[in-house]
Amino acid sequence: MTDSLAYFLMSWTDLSLLLLTAAGTFAGIYIGAIPGLSVTMAVSILISFTFAWDVNDALALMVGVFCGGVYGGSRTAILLNIPGAPSAVATSFDGYPLAQRGEAGQAIGLSTVMSVIGGLIGVLVLASTAPVLSEFALQFAPRDYFLIAVLGLLLVGSLAAESLSRGIFAAALGAVIGLVGMDPVTAEGRFTLGSMQLLGGIHYVVVMIGLFGVAEAFFQLHQLSVKPVRQNVEKIIPSLNLVLKFLPLSIRTSLIGVIVGALPGTGGDIASLFAYDHAKRSVKHPSRPFGKGAYEGLVAPESANNAAVGGAFVPMLTLGMPGDAVTAVMIGALVIHGLNPGPMLMVTTPHIFWFVVGALVLANLFLLIFGLMGIKLFAKVVELPKAILIPLILVLCVVGSYSLNNSMTEVYWMLGFGIAGYFLKIFGFEMGPIILGVILGPLMDNTYRQAMASVGDSTPALLIELVTNPLSIILTLAIVLLLVSNLPLKRMIRGSENG
Amino acid sequence: MSKQTKLQPGERAFNLLLLLFSLGIFYEAYRISGPGFESINSPGAFPIGLGIILMLSMIVIITGQLRKPKPDTQGALDEARQFLSAHFPLPIVVFSAMAIGYLLLLESLGFIISTLLFLFASMVYLRHGRLVSSAVIAGVSIAIIYILFTLLFQVYLP
Repeated sequence: MTDSLAYFLMSWTDLSLLLLTAAGTFAGIYIGAIPGLSVTMAVSILISFTFAWDVNDALALMVGVFCGGVYGGSRTAILLNIPGAPSAVATSFDGYPLAQRGEAGQAIGLSTVMSVIGGLIGVLVLASTAPVLSEFALQFAPRDYFLIAVLGLLLVGSLAAESLSRGIFAAALGAVIGLVGMDPVTAEGRFTLGSMQLLGGIHYVVVMIGLFGVAEAFFQLHQLSVKPVRQNVEKIIPSLNLVLKFLPLSIRTSLIGVIVGALPGTGGDIASLFAYDHAKRSVKHPSRPFGKGAYEGLVAPESANNAAVGGAFVPMLTLGMPGDAVTAVMIGALVIHGLNPGPMLMVTTPHIFWFVVGALVLANLFLLIFGLMGIKLFAKVVELPKAILIPLILVLCVVGSYSLNNSMTEVYWMLGFGIAGYFLKIFGFEMGPIILGVILGPLMDNTYRQAMASVGDSTPALLIELVTNPLSIILTLAIVLLLVSNLPLKRMIRGSENG
Repeated sequence: MSKQTKLQPGERAFNLLLLLFSLGIFYEAYRISGPGFESINSPGAFPIGLGIILMLSMIVIITGQLRKPKPDTQGALDEARQFLSAHFPLPIVVFSAMAIGYLLLLESLGFIISTLLFLFASMVYLRHGRLVSSAVIAGVSIAIIYILFTLLFQVYLP
């Protein structure tokens, strides 16, 4: 116990570790916020130059970047309607309408506090229930992961798009883009049109920059003459009453976030969408209608995606399975430093677990300080005339996509996706389901094939498992309910009555 | 009381194109592992499922269009004209041309010169003049981007 506490406090008492966590959090906020830079990319780059560092130094920096980056994505979602990361997609649903009303300061202040509350709840759950949650996640079969991914895509499709059919089309389109390249099992090309270059696949960050960055920049050209909304950033720190008012929702959605985050493969992106949906269904009288600047629509995803950070570390540290893309990269970092992430990590090197827990708490405290400090300057970005902002966004998109592979091919792909995204946006197709489809498509393909293999490629056997396994029943029912609730039943009944 | 919105000019044509695209995806999925459906667990099984979902959802969307009032246009040519004027006004066309020119110049002129030229030219165009302030903003921006990406993030610039 004393040892655990000493390991927990290590990053608090060692000045260099303290400064590295602070620097990581600060950098993470801006990396998450700058379109084209992703936390995954930043952590991958960090591995390359922290290779020779002490493992604690490297972890302190990466934990800070992770926490800051997940939060930072929400800033551009609020200010520019460009989610800096997939986990901030749901934040833009109500965050951007708030900025359009000139309440960006209040929105960012509230999202900062709720992110920290979510983050701390996530760490608390990580520290107290990691073994229990990991055992629970161990019971999940591939079919359950597949069902969770389907549920996630249906949720984002029904939430973000004009109609469920448009949402499903967009999600399936994203999944097709995600599958382009070599099949990981048989090495056959899929959707490559015979091109050798496409065998390597299309990087999801390129798709994200194109759809969210370039398409948005082109769209904003329609509003060149519209004067930017002057953001009210005088009142940044939210009042205690406001925080207390949303605290129960924040706690509920944080718990959703940490549970979803603990499921391997499902990170802050799905967690925030689940949380948004929960808020939409459970809050009877929101401050404003959802999608029009409801504070509840901001509190729920922001609490959940930061809570998912703590959750993502659960399978990583206890099972050696990544909770999301960033923890997948961090597993690589631990291996480079001679550690073996998995069930034995907590037995042979328990200090790593408690060190990470301590660094996560510290990073959340730095998040509160940096998050509430830099808003005035940051909010000025949206007061910049669009004629200046749009060319700059395009340059950032070019730099971001080029830096993925140091190749112009990615830049041309990014522009192509930007143009396609512009057309899709014109006709009411949302970008959120597409990008989640890109991320979840390969996961769904993999888990679907594992599920089929586990039942000897027998479809009836798989269907029987779906309705006999308790967890699969719950997930299948949730999918069916979601589909039924989106059917235009009233219109169909009225139509049949009218003959 | 559902609000019956009109179809946008070009919406029917675009959705038909997406249906054709979905058919193409289905065909490509069908060709994985050789033409034909090999097994329920083959590399092409999930992609074929996606192709079917794309086609079905697009058929639902197109069927839904039949209930919507048509756009106020006179013939296909007029619809195309309205579509272009609504979604491709001059600033978008000129900015797109500048963006493509910028990407083409990136490799021959290098990042700094081509970006400086693109930022300056596009800001002057979009701000209707203001040569000096555009030049200053472009210069300061390129300096910040260079320092941020090469020194802080250690990222290679094009």
